[in-house]
Amino acid sequence: MIMEPNSKRPSTFISRMSNDSFISLFMVGVLVVIFGLACLIVPNFLTAKNIINILTNNWYIIILGIGVTFLLITGNFDMSVGGVIALSGVLSVYFVQGVNVSPNELANGLGMPYVIGLVAAMACATCIGAINAFFIAKLKVPSIIITLGTMMLARGIAQIVTHGAQRNSSLPDEFGILGNTFVPGTSVKISVLIMVVLVLGAFAYEKLTVPGRRIFLIGANPVAARLSGVKVGRQLAALFIISSLLASVTGVLLASEYMAGLSNRGTGYEFDALVVTLLGGVSIGGGFGSVVGMFVGAIILSVVTTAATGLLLSPHWQFILKAVVTFIAILAQRYALDRRRG
Amino acid sequence: MELTENVLEIRELVKEFPSVKAVNNVSFDIKRNTVHCLVGENGAGKSTLIKILTGAEHRTSGRILLNGQEYYARSTKEAKQKGISTLFQELNVVNQLTVEENLTLGMEDTAFGFLRKTDKIAKMVDVMKSIEPSIDPKQLVGSLSVAKKQIVEIAKAVATDADIIIMDEPTAAISESEIQRLFSIIKGLREKQVTVLYISHRLDEIFQLGDYVTVMRDGGHIGTKPIAEIKDRSELVKMMIGKTVFEQYKPNENACEDVLLQVRDLSNQKLNDISFDVHAGEIVGFYGLVGAGKTELARAIYGVDDYEGEILFKGKRLAPSPDKAIDAGLALVPEERRTQGLFTILTIRANIPAMNMQAISRNGFIDAARERKITKEYIDKLRIATNSGEKETSKLSGGNQQKVVISKCLFAEADLLMLDEPTRGIDVGAKSEIYAIIRGLAREGKAIIIFSSELPEIVNICDTIYLLYDGNLKATMRNGCDLDSEKILNMVTGGK
Amino acid sequence: MKQVSIREREEMSNALRANVKKVYIYVFLVLIVAVFSVVKLGQVEFFGRGHFLNPDSVINMFRISVPILTLSGAFTLLMISGYIDLSVGSAMSLSAVIYALMIRSGLGMPLSVALAIVLGMGMGGVNGFLVMKLRITPVIATLVTLNLFKGIALLIVPFGVSAIKSAPGAPMPAWINFYGRREVLLGLPWSFYVALFLIVLLVIVQRKTILGKYAAAIGGNRNAAELSGISAVKYVWILYIILGVFAAIAGVARASFMSLGDPLSGDGMETDCIIVVLLGGTAFSGGEGSVAKTVVGVLIIMCVTTGLMTVIPAYWQTFAKSGVLLIAVTLNYLLVRTRNQA
Repeated sequence: MIMEPNSKRPSTFISRMSNDSFISLFMVGVLVVIFGLACLIVPNFLTAKNIINILTNNWYIIILGIGVTFLLITGNFDMSVGGVIALSGVLSVYFVQGVNVSPNELANGLGMPYVIGLVAAMACATCIGAINAFFIAKLKVPSIIITLGTMMLARGIAQIVTHGAQRNSSLPDEFGILGNTFVPGTSVKISVLIMVVLVLGAFAYEKLTVPGRRIFLIGANPVAARLSGVKVGRQLAALFIISSLLASVTGVLLASEYMAGLSNRGTGYEFDALVVTLLGGVSIGGGFGSVVGMFVGAIILSVVTTAATGLLLSPHWQFILKAVVTFIAILAQRYALDRRRG
Repeated sequence: MELTENVLEIRELVKEFPSVKAVNNVSFDIKRNTVHCLVGENGAGKSTLIKILTGAEHRTSGRILLNGQEYYARSTKEAKQKGISTLFQELNVVNQLTVEENLTLGMEDTAFGFLRKTDKIAKMVDVMKSIEPSIDPKQLVGSLSVAKKQIVEIAKAVATDADIIIMDEPTAAISESEIQRLFSIIKGLREKQVTVLYISHRLDEIFQLGDYVTVMRDGGHIGTKPIAEIKDRSELVKMMIGKTVFEQYKPNENACEDVLLQVRDLSNQKLNDISFDVHAGEIVGFYGLVGAGKTELARAIYGVDDYEGEILFKGKRLAPSPDKAIDAGLALVPEERRTQGLFTILTIRANIPAMNMQAISRNGFIDAARERKITKEYIDKLRIATNSGEKETSKLSGGNQQKVVISKCLFAEADLLMLDEPTRGIDVGAKSEIYAIIRGLAREGKAIIIFSSELPEIVNICDTIYLLYDGNLKATMRNGCDLDSEKILNMVTGGK
Repeated sequence: MKQVSIREREEMSNALRANVKKVYIYVFLVLIVAVFSVVKLGQVEFFGRGHFLNPDSVINMFRISVPILTLSGAFTLLMISGYIDLSVGSAMSLSAVIYALMIRSGLGMPLSVALAIVLGMGMGGVNGFLVMKLRITPVIATLVTLNLFKGIALLIVPFGVSAIKSAPGAPMPAWINFYGRREVLLGLPWSFYVALFLIVLLVIVQRKTILGKYAAAIGGNRNAAELSGISAVKYVWILYIILGVFAAIAGVARASFMSLGDPLSGDGMETDCIIVVLLGGTAFSGGEGSVAKTVVGVLIIMCVTTGLMTVIPAYWQTFAKSGVLLIAVTLNYLLVRTRNQA
């Protein structure tokens, strides 16, 4: 016995849009409003330099956000990405440091050739994703618990390799290229370009590919997905590995930028990635959301933090700001979606 | 307050849904301190009636009098407070607490938050002991068998002064000896001032247990009689069936000898040594009532649940997982379309290709044009009532939602299609359309298995009919020869 | 019939797991103590300096266990009801900061402690509101409050200073550490005995009060609990408030121990809580768990971390803890979780 749905509501442009597009549009609207406010309140906000800064200073969070977005759509968290950043950064330094070059243990490494060292570092860091995948897909452990554990594992290994501090010497000259080169003719680093490419690639993945579609199937209805032949476990495993891979790329880029592998790099990045994803309207295990939304969310966060700096607020304000902004975003989206459904 | 002779009086109860009248002007009485049985085929209206009594559904019109007073319940909790307790299939006990703790849950005596050991506990334990002395009150409920958990729930209801305890198919999950124990307990409840409303399709139980029986059919009340006045099973069965008119069954000319599916000695927690064959072009039907094991059989074949035994598809062992079953050429239209078959927040276009994404993609990239094309094809072919493939499937009617699920399975190009309750809750027009689709598939040489609790459905289109009862295959019949629907109903309710 | 024999086999394996579950953590604890007691016997004497069972080091171990001991009992109760609170660490830090501030401002200990407790009720109340009334997923809601509390704590501390401590013109009274550091009995401070007392209190609450019973009922079968007239919203909210209060008490102990209020002192406590609760055999999904067994979990993790310190350098700690977490998760999977099918 099924209740016939009420099909008498007028069909407007807004109501015919998919939930994805509606939320993304909504958040763009929020961005415009917040940006406008910031321009009014903060002195010298509306400058080209500032705008470029806003668009680019979050690049590493955005890369992390790709993995977090895909996982959140399926209802999973990945809190280990911050640790993976530290691990891959530290390993990238350790692997290419010269062998037996100095009496200081922290200045000696494995002496691998540059490219091989980088690839090896990323491969090792991505293993964290494999561990996540095993516990979550196979043993069905809640993702929040295991990824908190693997975050500790990754950071723990990084601390062992750096004796709790950092490694930053005996590096080949090429090491700093990746993180410090600018796109010719602009003040934008290559890392930002990589971020843009990855976001575009993620968008294509999400909208155009079969595995991308499966993410939404799993998020929308995991039972139906399984009965429709989706290999849910395998797909989730792939997403966790992708998330770690993205984090390891970011870690390598950051290590290159600072010419150092810090064991405490990336602390708190996992929460930032989650914040921008939620700001972007990605549902928690609901089967809708988009990396585009996450990108918009990242810009919103960037506007807010840049405005805070412009107002000479201490950097310690960022925690409260992020908490408040996330809270408002969750409620606003829930409200908007409920209103839309009628 | 003087107690009325009838604990419950139902007067002209009606429940209308937009497409069907589930309860149509039902009136009858339930006498105090009796065991009153409620029987009827699927769709007879029993469940809706019970839902109205327990507050899970609102009546459209009509009156209910409990102990002579007007009775309304807006939730199961309110129904319980007013005196109607229900034993559900999903047991409402907390496994991690002891029997004693479950009995007193919500009714503890406390002093500043501390649990006090008072007479209340002892009294409730006494009620429990008088019903089933072998249960240790300090035992964790999780370690009890299903039968004993039910007994704990009964004891709790009795101890909380329930006037009526409703039991819905309580014997589905317990063993024969436990059933006998349960019956003696139920009969003893009459002395404890409790009336039992017992719903079951196992007619033997009705005769063993009941004082009165009410038969419903197609939403209406057929009759209420003392059990003593009913001669035998067949009289009851006749009341349940009435004059069902079957469409003319047309035998399928295309059925061939090729065996597509062979199931041998399939057993698991719910099924017992099931064996059968399915041929290409054949429409096979499994008929049974609630708890017979239909869905369990479908899920075992599809690889969702574990089993022991052998399943061969096209001569090869079938791997126990849905994705491998689909690759091999099976597809399942699940029992619950909203929770198991559809991606309700996604569009029609996203739902239909979900089982066979390779067919609309090249090198992993989705061919959007092809996706739109096949969506339109299926909307036309199955006559899904929508003006666009971009509509969210949650906004479709039940019949159209089911058509989307069927489209999804058809697109998987399966050689064997299984449908679990394919037309439940669907209007007549959509039903015939779905039957026509199924017949068409058989003509093309596909094999179909239908699991259903609606006899007309099974008899209308199936070539071979298997009867299931309690996880056992009771009989096989070929359609076309005169089917004795009385005999069929007899067997699926536990008869020989 | 075959169905019956299959069902019986399932029941037997469940019974076996239940029996192993009862004893495994005690076995685990004994094993760990044994291993660490013998591992360095070649180099140090039994009970001598540097040995695991050296009385001074054992006392020190108990002293540093005060915060986790204070927190983990209340955390266990909340998890039994099926809910989680990731903000406990920041709540503890905020309480430490405020307590130190009040003591330094001359408010005196009784009043400062009372205010800290009120703060704890407030923090727990906010968490309860977000999770139970606004129905935000506990993980997200408490991640938000984690950052909120952290942000407030950081802002209270003046910029440029790392913590609320003695400042020019506002000295921190020396007696602040009477509670958390001064040795009172067996070389342990008041805060330790308070923590013990609170644990005993919570064990009593869990076993003998209605709150304990209802927590298990709500976590075990929320539907059955609500049908019996129990309001999940009310009782879980109370549990969040209690956890907030305990976090505040832990913060007081930490501030007293360090003679200052460090806004980052509680970082990572939430993961520690998860580890000890898992070790103690509490299920992720709720319904069962034991405050007493969590204490064993605390003992295990303290033994592991202090024991490892006698063998490996300090920067191996994070890695070691993550290993314990992963082992705890695996054991929990094998023994505690009820196997459900999709």
